[in-house]
Amino acid sequence: MTSPGDGTPVKPPPSFSPGVARNVSKSRYPDESETTTSLDAELAEAHTGSSPTSPLPAATAELPIRSASPQSRSGRSSTPQLARSSIGSPFDGRSEGSEDIRSLIIRAFSPTVAVYASDDTDALVRNKGFKGGFWDLIRPFGETISGKVVIRDSIGSSRAWEDYGVRFVNLKGYGRDAGWDSSLGQMEEVLEKQLNSGEFALGGPISAKDVLGVPATTPLCKLYLRQLLSSTSATPHETFKHPVASVIAISSRNTAPLETLRQLYAESSTGEARLPDWIQQDYLRYYVLIHDEERDDITESTKLYDQMKRHFGLHCHLLRLRSSQCVVTDDDSTQVPQCEWLSPREHLSGVGEAETLVDLGTDGTPYLFDSDATAIKSFVRELMVQSVIPFMENRVAVWNDQVASRRRGISGRLAAVSRRWPFGSSSRSGIGSSGGNSGNYDSVQNFYAPESAEATLRKMADFAFMLRDWKLASSTYDMIRSDFGNDKAWKYHAGAHEMCAVSMLLNPLAMSAKIKLESVDQMFETACYSYLTRCSDAPHALRSLTLAVELLKSRGGSATETAARWAMRVMDFGLVESIGQILFMERVAACYASKTPATGAKWGARRRKAGMWSVLAADQWLKAGKPSLASSCLEEAERLYADDLEADGVFPMPEMQTFVDNLRHAVKVEYLEARGFNGQNETPTEDPIGTEEISEKLDKRSHRRSLIGLPAQLDAGNLKLNPGPTNAEEAPNDDFERA
Amino acid sequence: MSYYFTILSPTDTPIFNIAFGTSKGGGDGIARFRFPDTAQYMNQFIIHSSLDILEEAQWTNGGMYLKHIDTYPPAAAYISAFLTPSGARFLLLHQPPQLPTSGSSSVLGGSSLLGSSGSTTRASSSSVAANPTSPQTEEAVRQFMNEVYESYVKTAMSPFYKQGMEIRSPVFRTKITAAGKKWL
Repeated sequence: MTSPGDGTPVKPPPSFSPGVARNVSKSRYPDESETTTSLDAELAEAHTGSSPTSPLPAATAELPIRSASPQSRSGRSSTPQLARSSIGSPFDGRSEGSEDIRSLIIRAFSPTVAVYASDDTDALVRNKGFKGGFWDLIRPFGETISGKVVIRDSIGSSRAWEDYGVRFVNLKGYGRDAGWDSSLGQMEEVLEKQLNSGEFALGGPISAKDVLGVPATTPLCKLYLRQLLSSTSATPHETFKHPVASVIAISSRNTAPLETLRQLYAESSTGEARLPDWIQQDYLRYYVLIHDEERDDITESTKLYDQMKRHFGLHCHLLRLRSSQCVVTDDDSTQVPQCEWLSPREHLSGVGEAETLVDLGTDGTPYLFDSDATAIKSFVRELMVQSVIPFMENRVAVWNDQVASRRRGISGRLAAVSRRWPFGSSSRSGIGSSGGNSGNYDSVQNFYAPESAEATLRKMADFAFMLRDWKLASSTYDMIRSDFGNDKAWKYHAGAHEMCAVSMLLNPLAMSAKIKLESVDQMFETACYSYLTRCSDAPHALRSLTLAVELLKSRGGSATETAARWAMRVMDFGLVESIGQILFMERVAACYASKTPATGAKWGARRRKAGMWSVLAADQWLKAGKPSLASSCLEEAERLYADDLEADGVFPMPEMQTFVDNLRHAVKVEYLEARGFNGQNETPTEDPIGTEEISEKLDKRSHRRSLIGLPAQLDAGNLKLNPGPTNAEEAPNDDFERA
Repeated sequence: MSYYFTILSPTDTPIFNIAFGTSKGGGDGIARFRFPDTAQYMNQFIIHSSLDILEEAQWTNGGMYLKHIDTYPPAAAYISAFLTPSGARFLLLHQPPQLPTSGSSSVLGGSSLLGSSGSTTRASSSSVAANPTSPQTEEAVRQFMNEVYESYVKTAMSPFYKQGMEIRSPVFRTKITAAGKKWL
C-alpha cells in the first residue's frame, strides 16, 4: 500500500491532472499581457534551436495577431487554461512553431557536397573511431555552419543566414542506392521505433515543457517531416541531391600526394566513381590535405600544401587532425553532434546508437578532441563560404545570363510559342540548343541530358532555391514548368510545379498577395496529379503535399484552411500508413487551430473543427495503443473546445458527449494499465492532486462534468474504475476517414 | 443520399434531430451514412464543427438560406444552413452514397422492395442527390428549408412551447419527414 507521501507517485497523464497545469496558468492569469509574453519566452526557451532568425517573415506574421490579441483574450476570460495552449493559441502556434517548421524545410534543401577520400585518409579517420571514414567524420559538422553565411542574390543584395547547412554524401556508391522504394514503409517503422522508445519519456514525470503545453506530439511531427525530406535519393528530375562540389581528400601519410589527388580526380570524373549520366559532371572540386598532428611533420605538410595550391588553384584546405582516438575521459573531449538529417534507412540501422546517447550520454557516440572539432568546423565554413557558395552564385549568374534571359526575352517567348505550334520550321533553327518538341528529352531513359537548356534551367532554379533566392527560383520554375509538360516529361513537370509553389510560399515578399494562393493551389494540384497518376511516385507526392500543408499553414489566414484540406487529401489518397494517418489528423487540427478570429470579432476561428480533429486523433492513438499520446490529444481538444462550450463544458449534443466521455475513460484506463496500475492502487496517490485541483477551480464550474471533470470524480477517493461503458466504445471500428 | 437534419437553439443546443434518406429515384427514405452504426456521433461532430463556418458565414451573407457552407471531405459530408430571425439554426448534413461499397449494399437492401434495383441506382445517380453542390440540390434544399421554417414557426407559436425547448411534437416530426420526402 502506498501512501501519498512515499515512493514516487504515478503521475497521471496530462489530461487527468489539469490541476497541475492550471495552477501555473491560473496564478498568472490576472496580468494577461505579461502572461503571454512570459509564456512565450519560456516556450521559446523550451524549444531548443527554434526560431532561427529570419526577421522579415516573423515581423509580418506577427503584426495582425498582436493587434487582435486583447479582444480574443478577454473574450475567453472564463478559460484560464488557454494560456498554455500550444497549437490552440495563435501566439506560439504561429510565431514560434511555424518559423521552426519553415526553417526546417529550408534547411532540408541544402546543397550537397560529395566526399571522395583516398584510402590512407579513410584509414587515418577510422583510427579515430569513425567507421565510415572521412565522410562520416565531417558529416555531422555540415548540418549547421557556424556563424553567419552571407549570400548574394541575383539582384545583388546580400543577406546573412545563421542556419545554413550542407549535406555531405559519400561519392563511393553515390547514386546507386535503391532509392525510394520502401522508404515510406521505413518511415513508418522509424516512427514506431521512436514512439516505443519515447514512451518512457512521455510516461515519466511530467516535465516543465509538458505542463506548459508543448504537446509531446510536435516533435513527432517534426521527426516525420525530417524523415520525409531526407529520404529522397538523387533523381534526374531534381538536382537538390546532385553534388554541387566534391571534396577530394588525402592525408599526409600519403607517399605520392599529388599523383593520388590526380588519380582521385580522374576516378571521380571518368573512372569508377563517375556519377550517373543525368548529373552534370562539371562540379567544383575541392582538395583537402589532412595533416596528422601526431605522426607527421607540419613543415612537410605545409610545403605539400603550398605545392597543392600551385597545382590545383585556390580551392584547397589544410586540415590538421590528431590521429589517435579520443575517449570521454580525455581532457578536451567534445561530443560529435548528432546528425539531424538521417534517411529512414540510416535511422533504422543506427537507431540503437541514438538511444544510448539519449539514455546514458556516454557510450556509442564518438568523441573528438576539441581542437579537431574546431578545425573541422572552420574547414566546413571555409569550404562553403569561400568556395561552394561563390561557385553557386557564379553559376546562377552565368546561367541566368546565358540561358534564362534568352528564354525570358521576346525572341525566346516567340521561339517557345513557335516550338509549340510550328508555323514554319525556319524559326526553329534560330534558338540554338533548345530544339523542337521533346528534342532534349530522352523518353526512353526518362531524363534530359544535363547540358540541355531545360536541365540547366532546372539546375539553375534549384541552385537559386538552395541559395534561398526564392524569387529567382520561383520565376525560373514558372518559366520551365510548361516546357516539361510539352515534352511529356511528367516527373520534371511535377517537380517544377511543386518547387514553383514551394518557392512562392517561401518567398517572404509575396506574403500578402492573396490571389496567388489560388495559383499555388493549382500548382500543387498539378504536381500531385503528375506524381501520382502519371508517375505513380507516391513518396514525392507525399513530400509535395506535406510541404503544401506546412507552408500554407505557416502563412496563416485563409491559407490554413487550404492547408487542412491538403492534409485531408493526403489521408484520402492513402499515402500514409497508420501512424502517419494519425499524425496528419493532428496536423489538420493544428491547421484549424492556427486560424485566428478576425480582428475584434468572435467568429472566424476554427476551434470546433480543430477540437473535433483532436478528438478523432485521440481516438486513433488509443486504437493504436498509445494512450499517453491519446491523452495529450484529448487535452488539446479540451483546450480548443473550452471556448465554445460555455461555463459547464458539456457538449450540447448528447452523442458527442457520450463519445468524449467514453473516450476519456478508455484513455485513462489504458494509460493506467500501461503503467501497471489498476484503479485501486491509483486512487490514493491521485487523491491529493484531485483535491487540490478542485479547490483551485472552484469558481463557477465546480459541477463541470465532462471535459475536465475526471479528477473531480477521482476525488471521491473510493472510486472503483468501472470498465462498463468503456467496452462499448473501444470496439468500434469506424471508417470515418475513408471517403 | 443520406441526410441528418438538426435544429440548433441560439445557444447551440440541439432542439430537434432527424436522420433520413432520400426518397427520390426509388430511395426508401432510410439513412445510410458512411460511418458504421457505432460511429453515428460523427454526424454530430461534423455539424458541431461546421458551426465555426456558420458563425462566419452569417455575417457575410445577407440571406436566411446560406446554401452549402461546409464540407467534411473524409466522409464527403456536406452541410447546408438556414438561419431564422430568432437565432435558431437549421443545419442539414447530406452525404451522397458511397459508390463502390454502400451502393451495392443499398441495392441488396432495396431489391426486396423494388424489382428493378439496378435501374433505380442509375436513376438516383443522375438525380438531385448525386451532386451535393449543384444548383438543383441547392434549390431543393432551399425548398426543404422553407417548408421546415414554416412548420417551425407554427410550432414555436404554440403557447406551450418556450424558446430553446426541445421540440417533441410528433406533428412537427411528420411534417419534416414529409418535407424531406417531397424535396430531398
